[in-house]
Amino acid sequence: MKVVSRALRGVREHVRTQVVSVATVALALFCLAASALVAQNIGELSRRWGGPVRMTVYLADGANAEQVDALRAALGSLPEVQNARYVSPTESRALVAGDDRVMASASAELFPATVELALAPGAADSARIESLATRVRRLPTVSDVETYQGITGQLQSVLSSGRNAALIFGVIVLLCAIAVVSNTVRLSLHARMREVEVLRLVGASPRYVRSPFLAEGALLGGGGAVLAVALLAVVFFMVRGRLDMMSGSIGMRPVFLSLPLLAAFVLGGAGLGATGSALAVRRWLKV
Amino acid sequence: MGRPRIGAQFGRQFRPDGHFDRSAAHKPILVLDGVVKVFRADAPVLRRVDLTIERGEFVFVTGPSGAGKSTLLKLVYRAETVDEGRILFCGRDIARLTDESVPFLRRNIGVVFQDFKLIPYWSVFENVAVALEVAGMPSRIIRSRVAMALERVGLAGRGEDLASVLSGGEQQRVAVARAIVNEPAIVLADEPTGNLDPVLALDVLGLFEEIHEAGTTVMFATHDRTLLEQSPQHRLIVIDDGRTIEARQGLRAVGGAFAAQREHADADDATATARLPL
Repeated sequence: MKVVSRALRGVREHVRTQVVSVATVALALFCLAASALVAQNIGELSRRWGGPVRMTVYLADGANAEQVDALRAALGSLPEVQNARYVSPTESRALVAGDDRVMASASAELFPATVELALAPGAADSARIESLATRVRRLPTVSDVETYQGITGQLQSVLSSGRNAALIFGVIVLLCAIAVVSNTVRLSLHARMREVEVLRLVGASPRYVRSPFLAEGALLGGGGAVLAVALLAVVFFMVRGRLDMMSGSIGMRPVFLSLPLLAAFVLGGAGLGATGSALAVRRWLKV
Repeated sequence: MGRPRIGAQFGRQFRPDGHFDRSAAHKPILVLDGVVKVFRADAPVLRRVDLTIERGEFVFVTGPSGAGKSTLLKLVYRAETVDEGRILFCGRDIARLTDESVPFLRRNIGVVFQDFKLIPYWSVFENVAVALEVAGMPSRIIRSRVAMALERVGLAGRGEDLASVLSGGEQQRVAVARAIVNEPAIVLADEPTGNLDPVLALDVLGLFEEIHEAGTTVMFATHDRTLLEQSPQHRLIVIDDGRTIEARQGLRAVGGAFAAQREHADADDATATARLPL
């Protein structure tokens, strides 16, 4: 406790330096938190899009209701299929047209009747999907099958690249944050060199001299992390309204960092601060 | 019953059995044996210095600027290390101390500097208490000891003041209080009056005299002749050209302005006075 109170005394005595330092660290950690937020949302999006794989079965013209029911029942009983839903031409038109009045006024016969299949999680690999599609195509009331493999593959690739870019950016920012804390503590060390000199003179052990600087680094990192998260929350909730408009097209609503992740981030900030401080103390404080 | 000295561990550091070496109490407090210190190979600062300081002595160390007075003191509190020879403090060779043991040595030595070395944004109390806090003393004892130390230096009731608001003389008194608060075996003063006007300088010297009268060994480095004349009875060590010359009987016993006492001066004393940079 004494170490913390000595660290706080050091912070109080150099308030201006500390405010600038916390702001700088907060800025670096804001970038880190933002990249974590992007990575989290990309991960969520990836899970959504990579979740239950879809397959659309286009029915042959002239298939009657009995044939459609029989086909839907047959498809629904396959082990690879989780759910099979019949979509009539009228429903297809409504889905495609949306708010488009011209499209909505077109004849329903122009739109194909389909059976939408949601595949079981275990059947999501490409080989099984292609095998299933080949078998389904042979059925007499089926005209074609769309597996969406090309689109989802490309999307997964884009999402994966985005996630990797966010992670790489995060690592770079992390290193920058350590450097910022280290330099900040170095400044603090220089500002308090007289204090260090006096402590040495009166017989303070190296541990006694160093410990408040480590605590100060941890406080700096932790404080910067709290500030960064608060800033990110403000920015996130300000722009979420705009992002919500996109949520319909991307199939998910952006989410903020979870509470456990926030706690880990603040603790990580404190750890990062202590690490940066330890580096500075090791290099610049000879006791 | 005497209070335990802070840093009594220092005595235990070098005994394999972990017990305090009582025989050290009867040995000279400080012995320099053939000490050599070199910063530049062609101009050693100290050349085979031999010196013995007994417990309870007041010793002036004088010499021209750059003669090695500060270096001599730095060697004693291990801010510098000897290149040759040994320094025995309470019977222990401090040149052989491990880095971990140096803080324990320093808790047994009070040091006062020309520039006070106070933390301006700390209170007077905090500046003095730090010497006890580093030794892990309980705060109740720290409070009482700091109060006593401040009273001894004439700053009773000033504990709450910031060091930065004090005058030069008061700041030096705080520095002296910090040096004596843990009742060290020896107090080293490195030009403690260098930043003070003549009246305050004599005032601070008087403070060291009082500390000495209370039984503390004092090594006082100065080149201020006025101070040497003020306390001519004290032993005088002159450092010049890296060597020491002693006047054991002090300035009182030797030549120059003290011609009346010249007949009492021994040969060493006469040589010392002749070389005084005064």
